[in-house]
Amino acid sequence: MAGIGVFICWCGENIARTVDVKKVAEEIGKLPGVTVAMEYKYMCSDPGQTLIRNHIRDDKLEGVVVASCSPHMHLRTFRAAAAREGLNPYKVEMANIREHCSWVHQDKERATAKAIELIAMSVAKVSKDKPLDAIKIPVTRRAMVIGGGVAGIQAALDMADGGIEVILVEREPSIGGKMAGLSETFPTLDCSQCILTPRMVDAGQHPKIKLYTWSEVEEVNGFVGNFEVKIRKKARYVDTTKCTGCGNCWNSCPQKKIPSEFDYATGNRTAIYIPFPQAVPARPVIDAEHCLKLTKGRCGICEKKCAAGAIHYDDQDEFVTEKVGAIVVSTGYQLYNFRAPETEKTKGYGEYGYGRFKDVIDSLQFERIVSASGPTSGEIRRPSDGKEPKTVVFISCVGSRDNNKGMAYCSKICCMYNAKHTMLYKHKVHDGEAHVFYMDIRSGGKNYDEFVRRAIEQDGALYHRGRVSKITEEGGKLIVRGVDTLAGKPVTVEADLVVLAAAMVPSKGAEQLAQKLSVGYDQYGFLSESHPKLRPVETNSAGVFVAGACQAPKDIPESVAQASAAAGKVLGMLSKEELTREPEIAHIDEKNCAACFACYRTCPYNAIEKAEVRDRRGNFIKMTARVNPGLCMGCGTCVAVCPSKSADIEGFTDEQIYAQIETLL
Amino acid sequence: MSEPLQNSCRKLLTDGTVQVVIGYVKSPVDSDPAIPGFITKPEDCQRLQWNDLCDLNLVTYLSRPEIKKLGKAAIVVKGCDLRALAVLLRESQVSRENLYIIGMACAGQRSSAAAAENNDAASGTLATPYKCTVCDAHQPDAKLCDEVIGADSVKNEPVEESTRYARLTEFLKKTPEERFAFWKRELSRCIRCYACRQVCPLCYCNRCIADRNRPQEISTSATLKGNVAWNITRAFHLAGRCVGCGQCSSACPMGIDLQLLNLTMAKAAEDNFGGYRAGVTELDPVIGTYSVEDKEGFIG
Repeated sequence: MAGIGVFICWCGENIARTVDVKKVAEEIGKLPGVTVAMEYKYMCSDPGQTLIRNHIRDDKLEGVVVASCSPHMHLRTFRAAAAREGLNPYKVEMANIREHCSWVHQDKERATAKAIELIAMSVAKVSKDKPLDAIKIPVTRRAMVIGGGVAGIQAALDMADGGIEVILVEREPSIGGKMAGLSETFPTLDCSQCILTPRMVDAGQHPKIKLYTWSEVEEVNGFVGNFEVKIRKKARYVDTTKCTGCGNCWNSCPQKKIPSEFDYATGNRTAIYIPFPQAVPARPVIDAEHCLKLTKGRCGICEKKCAAGAIHYDDQDEFVTEKVGAIVVSTGYQLYNFRAPETEKTKGYGEYGYGRFKDVIDSLQFERIVSASGPTSGEIRRPSDGKEPKTVVFISCVGSRDNNKGMAYCSKICCMYNAKHTMLYKHKVHDGEAHVFYMDIRSGGKNYDEFVRRAIEQDGALYHRGRVSKITEEGGKLIVRGVDTLAGKPVTVEADLVVLAAAMVPSKGAEQLAQKLSVGYDQYGFLSESHPKLRPVETNSAGVFVAGACQAPKDIPESVAQASAAAGKVLGMLSKEELTREPEIAHIDEKNCAACFACYRTCPYNAIEKAEVRDRRGNFIKMTARVNPGLCMGCGTCVAVCPSKSADIEGFTDEQIYAQIETLL
Repeated sequence: MSEPLQNSCRKLLTDGTVQVVIGYVKSPVDSDPAIPGFITKPEDCQRLQWNDLCDLNLVTYLSRPEIKKLGKAAIVVKGCDLRALAVLLRESQVSRENLYIIGMACAGQRSSAAAAENNDAASGTLATPYKCTVCDAHQPDAKLCDEVIGADSVKNEPVEESTRYARLTEFLKKTPEERFAFWKRELSRCIRCYACRQVCPLCYCNRCIADRNRPQEISTSATLKGNVAWNITRAFHLAGRCVGCGQCSSACPMGIDLQLLNLTMAKAAEDNFGGYRAGVTELDPVIGTYSVEDKEGFIG
């Protein structure tokens, strides 16, 4: 191929210091097919790009090689420049003479020789480049949100308001998540339910939102723009279309002593129940483990009481499949189980006596105790004897920032809610003492540090900088032995109630869900964003986004902000009729394919299909492997494994690779 | 056993169960091994024969378009051939419903190629091939067959792995230099006639990479470089697939011991992938299947 232009960049001094760019241009100019070879100080700059464009136009170039930095850095830049001049962007190649050459060598003469070879290889490659077109994929303009906490609700509402249909899947009987159970929120002390429940109702009633509660994601198939998600609708034993939510069933259920999940066992519920009065949907479920009818075949009171005839004891799990174009994962968090750790990675805190001493509770339990909707209707009473505790100790960093327990990270919100807890306590028990043992106070954020200062200075919370070594029980009191490292003294507090601020960990099942979605996760199970700064809500699985505490510990404002960000990304993506993507993916020569399906078994993205080749009359000719362009990531495993060499990567064909190698021989 | 086979095939063709029988027919030269026959008429079934001159592996014809065109086929297979057929089925090259498999109990075969290996090249001399000396498939696997003829005549005895690879173990006693010298000497004689490929039941690509020229993956000239590239590539393509039927060695006009090369790859598959034996192990092919139990010692 004639008409190749080679543009050699100095990268300021980065390349030119070690590579004799003038000599390189001179030598490359002698290669067959090269029409123009020139160097310039900054090819990526506006004048640099203009230079390339002028040569494409004036010299009628058919292929361009830019010898500069990594294609990761600027391939898009140069392809776009070429495209503006009418050259197919996939006929632009880069030779990396910076990272691969000038940055790693010192000897100028040898580096120059290497640069020449690297560029010659790219010239060989570009001469066999074929014009390619970006791949267009049709889009299903619906989205799914997995997890109906505050982040999921926010994402669903934003997307639905943006005009797309949203499927919201929640595994609990009601949406609302952790926030629905909180008392008041920092730093404004506004009531959590008062701000959340209207949003829950909005989500439940929005014409564009389809709610699946008491449901879990079973299977995810397809690819960006075209996911098919199989949802398991767990047996509810209540027909939600007939049920009016009147409450006759749960008010008459004789099983009244079942620890409530919503109250973290600080309160009880019935066997047929709604988790809390403001639940959305306000439709009960039957807890099959405790229901007398389902376990022993007796009772059946709820069925008799139900005027709507909505109770069905023979209900089964059901499966539905929903097609969506994008998925937002907002599965949230739970508190680390410091009594009986669930994974081998984490260890417990036996010395704090949680589970042995009734009055040692965790922060979410305390939230229920101070909450007006909680089991004590907001009166602060301790679990053991129902008395008002006069001395409460709050312990920070239970698990968090503790490598020995398996969690090296800061849970981020505990410093703030500890301060909030002391205030809520002091506002209700004026003569009470609130002690906080802390490692550091982390209160970055708008009005956050002021809030902590208020707890200490106005509400008189007693802060001790130090750890608690042990809690024992003596005469109805919890003896909390700790240290104040600022005073350099041991501190012993005789407490009535101890609240442990346990580390936030990803909610149960997050890893399995991540695997279904091909989304990465870290050693703690938090989902991995695509880039910590520039792509914070995207994942490396195209079309899957993250929001809220499933990605890292977050407070409500951050979760909501991230949810809106994810919703914005989805709306942007689904605003187009079709998606475009780079065409450098595998291609099977179907005529040549022997249909051994080695590629089918090997493909890590399940992008290979078994297909039939038929003639125009529809007669079967042969089987063949076929690439699904939506799924293929262009990794090339099929190319390596194909015995008949029928698989090839567009833009990286065997022919091109051989041509490149041959320039070196 | 020729007669029951003929009767069976006659019936299959008469009632239209199959349109063609792929079997062994007598060579025009009386004492020579049998040649393949493609019988389409019931009255021709008397030409079919079964004896110890049926060393050919007829499975190779199943993936040929000209044979596929004839319609549903019945194929006569020995226990060893059936393993090649099992690999083809696994690699979706033939469809089971379009096939009638007649398994033959086999006490062992004789071939002229084996005689040549024993340096007994006199015309008409026949000897027992290596595969028959280590055979553990005298009886074909009945659950893969539609019919087995001579079921009680022979029994399968397990053969130790060390016995199956005895030839290779012996060869590996040589130093790497000696082995390389051996292969250089052997492969330099290759004339690139591709008889090994044509006869192999598992070489079924529509277009072999040896015939490709954009890019040319394998040098086509019969020089040592091109010959090594071709024969080694073929051995790699058969890794974990070759069932050791020995047709390549038999067909090679230059008498190159190709089976020894394939035996090396078969042992590698068996040693490294949980005792995997092509056509015996009921798992997906080794190449292209990942299991967490796979050894990874070769990495790093």
